[in-house]
Amino acid sequence: MTRILLSDKLDNCVARWRKAGLTVIGPVKKETSSSYAAVEKAADFDFGIVLPDCSIKGLFFPQTEPMTGYTIKKQDIVTNDFAPPAEKRIIFGARPCDASGLAIDDPLFGWDYKDDFWFQRRNETVIVTIACTKADNFCMCTSLKLAPDSTKGSDVLLRPLQNNKGWLVEELTDRGREAFKEIADLLQDGSEQAAPLAVVPEKFNLDACVAWLKNPENFDSTFWKEISMRCIGCGSCTFLCPTCHCFDFQDEGDTYSGIRRKNWDSCSFSLFTMHTSGHNPRSTQSARWRQRIMHKFNYFPGKFSVNSCSGCGRCTRQCPVDMGITETLQAISTLKP
Amino acid sequence: MKIVDRRDEAPGVRTLKLEFQNPADHEHFKQTFRTGMFGLYGVYGEGESTFCVASPETRKDYIECTFRQSGRVTSVLASADIGDLITYRGPYGNRFPIENFYGKNLIFVSGGIALPPTRSVIWSCLDQREKFGKVTIVYGARTVADLVYKHELEEWEKRDDVDLVLTVDPGGESPDWKHRVGFVPTVLEQAAPSPDNCIAVICGPPIMIKFTLISLKKLGFDETNVYTTLENRMKCGVGKCGRCNVGSVYVCKEGPVFTAAEVSRMPQADL
Amino acid sequence: MSIQEQYKKRVREILSSGAVKMVIGYQAGTTADRRRPLFIRTPEEAEKLVLDSACIANLSGYLVTEGLLSDEKSVGIFLRPDGIRSINILAAEAQLNPEQVVILGFDGNEKEVTALQGEKAKDFTAIIASIKEHAPSAPRNPQLEQIEKMSPKERFEFWQAEFSRCIKCYACRQACPMCYCRRCIVDSNQPQWVNTSSHTLGNLEWNVVRAFHLSGRCVGCGNCDRACPVNIPLRLINAKMAGEVLGAFDHFAGMSETQEPVLASFKKDDSETFIL
Repeated sequence: MTRILLSDKLDNCVARWRKAGLTVIGPVKKETSSSYAAVEKAADFDFGIVLPDCSIKGLFFPQTEPMTGYTIKKQDIVTNDFAPPAEKRIIFGARPCDASGLAIDDPLFGWDYKDDFWFQRRNETVIVTIACTKADNFCMCTSLKLAPDSTKGSDVLLRPLQNNKGWLVEELTDRGREAFKEIADLLQDGSEQAAPLAVVPEKFNLDACVAWLKNPENFDSTFWKEISMRCIGCGSCTFLCPTCHCFDFQDEGDTYSGIRRKNWDSCSFSLFTMHTSGHNPRSTQSARWRQRIMHKFNYFPGKFSVNSCSGCGRCTRQCPVDMGITETLQAISTLKP
Repeated sequence: MKIVDRRDEAPGVRTLKLEFQNPADHEHFKQTFRTGMFGLYGVYGEGESTFCVASPETRKDYIECTFRQSGRVTSVLASADIGDLITYRGPYGNRFPIENFYGKNLIFVSGGIALPPTRSVIWSCLDQREKFGKVTIVYGARTVADLVYKHELEEWEKRDDVDLVLTVDPGGESPDWKHRVGFVPTVLEQAAPSPDNCIAVICGPPIMIKFTLISLKKLGFDETNVYTTLENRMKCGVGKCGRCNVGSVYVCKEGPVFTAAEVSRMPQADL
Repeated sequence: MSIQEQYKKRVREILSSGAVKMVIGYQAGTTADRRRPLFIRTPEEAEKLVLDSACIANLSGYLVTEGLLSDEKSVGIFLRPDGIRSINILAAEAQLNPEQVVILGFDGNEKEVTALQGEKAKDFTAIIASIKEHAPSAPRNPQLEQIEKMSPKERFEFWQAEFSRCIKCYACRQACPMCYCRRCIVDSNQPQWVNTSSHTLGNLEWNVVRAFHLSGRCVGCGNCDRACPVNIPLRLINAKMAGEVLGAFDHFAGMSETQEPVLASFKKDDSETFIL
């Protein structure tokens, strides 16, 4: 016997959570685009989307974030540090890969200097993930040793019912249990079966790839130039990625007042590492693509014991020239370590 | 921080002397700063720039930073007046372990605008001169005008307990230039310091570092006795923003100070 | 022989003879409907070539890759008419020497493609002239017509909503053959002309700057539109500007390699006097 949330109770749930002061967020489709956006009622959700265009990352680490405001008067600088808006949120219908991405980035934002913006939002957001019963050709979670029903980063996991009328509820964390207390009387016991999970074929052998990447001789391999030749150096793969976290600080305003902001930045951009002198350690697009792959599957796991990729496949799905992690790691799988 | 003094070092190169406005910040600096660390200096409305702390760990009442005016932030810093306020974050990064240098001979090799980080170590050692053996400084720049800290070069030259070898690149000498003419690595080989019981600290543009390491190897220096500081582009200073890594090494966290042995293990193409 | 096989043969010939050092074309992509750019350097690699109606991307941007044409050797490239117009603009703006570009032309609809006769950009002048001829009477994009009917306020709100999704990944810029600047104005910070942040104002600024910089230069290939990962209908903006430039100056971008850039040239009899 398991707890079940029926679809026709969802509108009631949304109303309850909103009444309790939570902002309810979920997958929303609008004409040609899709996103994780705030909803007012259950009908606003679209659970048919395989994956929204942008990952869930932006809800925790926005593309632009005010850090410090400043006002300068004669010999006095008055600054005020911004904090993330105190907003309790529930994300209903996150995908397992997106939720995993958050858990992957937690140690990065927490080592040494603790990023309050990230952790305040993490602590005040309940993540209700829906296991995938549908995947597309770009999905690759299984290649990353994750699955369409991974619980990593989630507070509650929902499994769609076979009869398509609701979800089996698995509460995973205290934060999840707390949020579901609010709707406890809307849940019911049931013995319905969960729908079969999406079949996501394994696309490459991760261990073989990691072994190849760890061999220092392969750093200078001609492979990097060949595989990245068509890369046009835009930042779309990094900006859509649930785990890419590079950023820039930018001041906007004038001599008297303005805001210092934290903006997304990308290792794909040619100016990202450019020195004042003009020397650029990653001066070619192939060096930049190598950095991205090495960082995700060699450097990052070396520091935080986890690969910086959750297999969402957006890097390939939305790449203007049909590149991406999948193609690169598939090619590496075939090379001698 | 407040600018309490400023000095032109060379065309386009300026030193600012800064004093803390907030006692707590000053206390934090006094507790944590060791030679080799860096800071992020900024002007609201323009942004932040990363430079080393050019003053030594033996003088913590103020911070000196030296920079070349080139980008948006440094242009505004260069035109700032005494009494102006600028922002500072730090100190960040690791340090030169100078207590491990006690009792040893020291050779400092530096080029152009890279003398500031070396200078922090030099003064940190000269301020407790008795703890070290022979001190040799090899410093070169493209032209005579490009030499920075000219008044201090004069001071070091006069000292009996410091051997100063100055050089400028061929063609960069002035009619009254009395010192060497030639590239730093060549001049270093001519000076031929003994590697015995000796620590080398080198800092300069990537190309100078590359050839100086070769020269030191020729002279018989062990890679573990050669220290350098890598100055990559940085924005956050705390291991998150993603730019400064060379291979798996985050320069802002695990550096900027490395031994030549550590540098040789990094992917050379990304340096 | 299918057009694909004909062209494979041609590619092998021009590579074997040394007429070109490389051919830029298409190959199969991740999914059945996707094609990805292909760089063919040996006759054997021509086997990977795919040429069909799914070959949509304008590949001409790769020609301005730093150093590619600096050895004065020729490069072959598969282009539709819009891509050939891009070559003309790149030549007119002194970004490449059109004599180094061997064009493997093709055109077609959603179902099939046919070969275009010619080798150098100038061989296609008549084809491009006839496209211009038909431009004013060509069916307009229905979405564009709908937007034109809106009140200024509605229109502003429409675009604000579209731009609110922009994440400033600059895929539109990188995918555009006309955005070849080594340092884009948004990457210049002395002074900081455009806000780099991706907020309401910054997104509007970027998209307006992009629209103006492409006015009279855009050939309507749609690379930007397809590249946008959040599906902003960028093509509509460019189409609107192209229409304005055609109406006001009778300028159709990319007619020939000597065509003057419409917004970067001055004529004494210009009815606008503001510049003096």
